Amino acid sequence: MGLGILLAAALGTALWAALRALAGYPPRDPALIVLSPREAAFVTAVADAAFPPGGAIPTSGSEAGIPRHLDRYLAAQGSRNRRLMRLLLAFFEHATLLFPAPGASGFRRFSALTPAQRVAVLEAWSRSSLRVRRIVFTSLRTLLTMGYFESPAVLRATGVAPLAMETPVVDADLLYPRIGAARDTIRWRPEDRERPVSRAPLDPHGPLHPDYAARESRP
Amino acid sequence: MSDPRAWPGQLRVFADYQRDFTEQADVVVVGSGPCGGVAAYELAAAGKRVVLLEEGPPFTPADFTIDGALSMSRTMREGGLRFTGGYVMPTMQAMALGGGSLVNSAMCARCPEFRLDEWSAASDLARTRRKDLEPHYDAVAEFLGIAPTPDAVQGRRNLLFRDGCKALGYSSEPAARNVVGCRGSGECFTGCRARAKQSIDISYVPGALRHGARVLTSAQVQQIHVSGRRATGVSGQVVAPFGGRPAARFRVDAKAVVLAAGALATPILLQRSGNLANTSKLVGEKLQFHPGTSVVGVFPDPVEPVFGATQGYQSLHFLREGFKLETLWGPPVVLAVRMPGFGHEFKRHLLDLRHAAVWDAIASCRSSFGRVRERGRSLQPSMTWRFHPDDAAVLGRSVWVLAEIFFAAGARKILPGVAGLPDELGSLAEAEVLRRRVPGAKELVCASTHVFGTTRMHADARRGVVDEELRAHDLDNLYVVDTGVFPMSPAVNPMFTGMALAHRAARELARRV
Repeated sequence: MGLGILLAAALGTALWAALRALAGYPPRDPALIVLSPREAAFVTAVADAAFPPGGAIPTSGSEAGIPRHLDRYLAAQGSRNRRLMRLLLAFFEHATLLFPAPGASGFRRFSALTPAQRVAVLEAWSRSSLRVRRIVFTSLRTLLTMGYFESPAVLRATGVAPLAMETPVVDADLLYPRIGAARDTIRWRPEDRERPVSRAPLDPHGPLHPDYAARESRP
Repeated sequence: MSDPRAWPGQLRVFADYQRDFTEQADVVVVGSGPCGGVAAYELAAAGKRVVLLEEGPPFTPADFTIDGALSMSRTMREGGLRFTGGYVMPTMQAMALGGGSLVNSAMCARCPEFRLDEWSAASDLARTRRKDLEPHYDAVAEFLGIAPTPDAVQGRRNLLFRDGCKALGYSSEPAARNVVGCRGSGECFTGCRARAKQSIDISYVPGALRHGARVLTSAQVQQIHVSGRRATGVSGQVVAPFGGRPAARFRVDAKAVVLAAGALATPILLQRSGNLANTSKLVGEKLQFHPGTSVVGVFPDPVEPVFGATQGYQSLHFLREGFKLETLWGPPVVLAVRMPGFGHEFKRHLLDLRHAAVWDAIASCRSSFGRVRERGRSLQPSMTWRFHPDDAAVLGRSVWVLAEIFFAAGARKILPGVAGLPDELGSLAEAEVLRRRVPGAKELVCASTHVFGTTRMHADARRGVVDEELRAHDLDNLYVVDTGVFPMSPAVNPMFTGMALAHRAARELARRV
């Protein structure tokens, strides 16, 4: 009888933990290449905790397209790196089931926490006295920041968007095709090397690189 | 100007390989980075039949991307996410025609005389003092147009460093770089859109092609072949850019084999080819880095750091103490990662970027060593490296010196990036904590791109992998011409010294083959 109760309690706890960990995610976003629904939910949640809307730079993490960028970045990685990054995402998403966030409902996966709890969790990781914990946090923040800075609006707001600049044609350009292309696709001709191109120092207040010039978003 | 398409050399890219193939050469050079590029050019210019093998593709300006993260994932091995074990530290090695020169800051510093004297004493070298290398430095400098960075493209963030050093009586100087016609875009790390940086892919490689070299890109060398005491050639597989999808197999038979795959890949090639050249048991051992750390300084007025040479200024004042100081800029995302905090606090710090300068220090370690082995059969390195407390203390001290220079230059605050300290220090008095409590390895955030020591040079075959000619002690015609041959830190950026040594070795080899 006692054993049955214990088994039932253990089973119930396991079921509760599994539901907390795995259930209730939104359906898969067909626009994403590799991120699973769970990963996408976590990335969206943590992106807006790391880069909340408003404040010094109005663009939020999700508005900057962090989930989309991270998805593409993961897809471009080799299998080992991709596995490590996915492990990092899964670890962060579920770490609060073992080390809860503050508050009564802290025993939830990261994406199910309140925004304030998410911030508190990140705060704890970033300020940890353990170097390894700080490294894990820095790794996650790096991935998110990479996505945030892909947004032209963010770069313009920070004042460090790249400047426009002409590219002259040199000998090598007549020898190398674009990556993946055949050599007969090289369109430069010897006379292109004579084309006058400014060699003057750039003006820090001059026009921005076309990809970063003012417009709301890139296609 | 001649038409490069009419040059006698031949370049092949991934699309050119339809089937397995074999090549014959006087010399096969493995790796087209700074050292391999110099060697291939010198040998081809001497009339030798040269095959230069490079695993990565050639990058054109259309292949560059300013997005720092994406650029790193395309140009760096393992997506730019390599790190050491033991002391965890990111380290990056490029995979592209031209190797690291495509995405480095082009700093060319000659190894100081005192350090080459130490090399000579420690490794019983008879002709590797500064005066011996000077002609080779000069030849490379002339070819690449190496010159001090002009003030016109320094930008304020570099000149502030000069001013701070001057106020404190520390020597500083414009960094000499292999750049001709710099426009100050600060984009060295993602590929120079101005085509001003004389990276190896647009300098020595075209030079080698002009002299008839065959340059095979997307060619991954997997094996060195030997017969008795002679290397007979190399073999491997064509691999697709980025994904590494295998295609045709190849073999190159040659009278001499020159390895210039870098201080991580070269020892792996030797190990996986039957533990070659390893009587000394030092292949892959004595792995050394220049760990670097940076400090951000924020100034009252906009610095407009988007303009200026990437690393335009440096101070050699503290070389004998064990560290070198440099200015630094890079893709904004990489610098943003350096800012503290997250959330709204992080965003506020990001707005400081426009007012910021970033300066760094690299330490020439004396006691920090590691080893490299192949990870499985992947050709990728598994590295362990220990950051010795004595060396960490040297780098830790540099953080205080950088703080001093920032405040002498008028910074209103610094972001020391040291764990356990406040994110911001608002005055020299506040920064005193850096002097009183020198940060150790665990408090510093470090990275390194300078790797050396894994195929060290020594006159004694029991204590080194190659001799002073850079020829393997165990093989009569196998040479290593990358920074793996350094017996210890060069105290400054290693590229120029690697190229000078490669220049000398290639000239001597040309007379022998």
